[in-house]
Amino acid sequence: MALLELKNLSVNYGAIQAVQGLNLEINSGEVVTLIGANGAGKSTTLRAISRLLKVREGSIIFDGREITGLAPDAVVRMGIAQSPEGRQVLARQSVLDNLELGAYVRKDRAGITNDISRMFQLFPRLEERKQQSAGTLSGGEQQMLAIARAMMSRPKLLMLDEPSLGLAPLIIREIFSIIRNLNAEGTTILLVEQNAKLAMQHSHRTYVLEAGQITFTGSSQELLSDDRVLHAYLGG
Amino acid sequence: MTDFLQNNGFLLVTMVQQALLAMSLYYPLMCGQLSLASPGFYALGGYVAAIIGTIEYFAPWRDSLGWVIFPLEWLAAGIISGFLAVLVGIPALRLRGIYLALATIAFVEILRVVCLNLEITGGAIGIFGVPQLFESRWSYIWTFGPLLMLMLFFSYRLDRSRVGRAFKAIREDELAADAMGINPTRYKVLAFVIGAVLAGVVGAMSAPFLNTWNARQGTFDASIAYLAYVLIGGSRSMWGPLLGGMMLSALPEILRPLKDSRLIINGFVLVFASIYMPKGIAGAVGNLKNFTTRILGIGRSEK
Repeated sequence: MALLELKNLSVNYGAIQAVQGLNLEINSGEVVTLIGANGAGKSTTLRAISRLLKVREGSIIFDGREITGLAPDAVVRMGIAQSPEGRQVLARQSVLDNLELGAYVRKDRAGITNDISRMFQLFPRLEERKQQSAGTLSGGEQQMLAIARAMMSRPKLLMLDEPSLGLAPLIIREIFSIIRNLNAEGTTILLVEQNAKLAMQHSHRTYVLEAGQITFTGSSQELLSDDRVLHAYLGG
Repeated sequence: MTDFLQNNGFLLVTMVQQALLAMSLYYPLMCGQLSLASPGFYALGGYVAAIIGTIEYFAPWRDSLGWVIFPLEWLAAGIISGFLAVLVGIPALRLRGIYLALATIAFVEILRVVCLNLEITGGAIGIFGVPQLFESRWSYIWTFGPLLMLMLFFSYRLDRSRVGRAFKAIREDELAADAMGINPTRYKVLAFVIGAVLAGVVGAMSAPFLNTWNARQGTFDASIAYLAYVLIGGSRSMWGPLLGGMMLSALPEILRPLKDSRLIINGFVLVFASIYMPKGIAGAVGNLKNFTTRILGIGRSEK
């Protein structure tokens, strides 16, 4: 059974219909990529799943439960965490406080402390800077913090919105190897990227979104060698 | 010393009282909400105390309870203010920024006009002869002082608590906070209610202190004055409203020898303070500390 299922999902962004009749499935343990041009509706889809945007039509089913009408905090409690686009770390607060906030829905003090040290193992650079305010970190470090913060709620599904945005190639490679590690440890990942080729190389399956609708879907391997996709999205 | 207290007691207590009212604005600001509703709750609290203290219905209570009636007035004012704050806060906090400020100004005005026209609040005349708790003005420091200490301690703890962290996360980025599983509405209403309860209790303490209570206690002018306290004092820590409230309420008195020109000086101080101390007095003091640390190496921590 799919961990997350979007059925005929339509979402409006203001007056604009940003996503129309979208169907998408993510199985446990997968890394799924959602690619598409600017304004295709990728971030809108993520925000609808996080319940930050109202769903106009269709349903979102997570872990066998309908979550379409739930509040954002209920969704986080159920095990969906989002690392938002542009990182959005809380710049004035310390790295440690940001991580604590990521675990806001949890009450198990010992588990939280444990997970913070686990995040520091995964991201040693964050440990060196744990008392610094997050705004003083480099772009790559902020991205790491955003991912670590999302992981602090112990999600079953981690949604990453443009993790490569504005980062140097070397850092991007580091981020993607971390994403791969998180997946290997059992976290299911929904990845939204403009850097299509890289994202497809690091995912099992890919959905291509165009003007609010899915135009291609399939295994990332196949799509990577598909001429049409190659031509439209990978500049080949 | 006694002479000094006799002459300046009223001012000193007023400074503490105004610092408390500044703090009532600070709690909503902790989660980024500019609410100017404090004078409304302050007026409401004062009316609660004035009414309990004067009308016939409560006379047997007053006779049998003695001074205990005063803490009960504070409690009643706090509960009524908190209740009204929940009712007003849930719809009002759907608004943001300047719109919330405008809605809370409207709330203050509505409350003022209602009190101006009700019989129980004494109409335009107000309520006179509110029973006194102490004989001298100065003695009222024993009610406002402990409340200030309590609120400072509360703010200090709040700042480091789970709730305080949620407040600050909402102030910085409401959407990100929401995505992390913090329910912004719940915490914004909570912060609003804390501020309202404080303002209500201060009002209930002030009615006996001022001896009289009327609709002029909760006006738009007061909203702006409290806002100035927080902006000039600094809104990033509890020391801001404390310093701002005390200094700005004392300033007109300190400048009294200048006669009419004191208002000009008062205005200049506000303008210069906001230009040269964008983080407020508390922020400027913090910067000064960093500056001396850097230049003189005083208090530098081992790296």
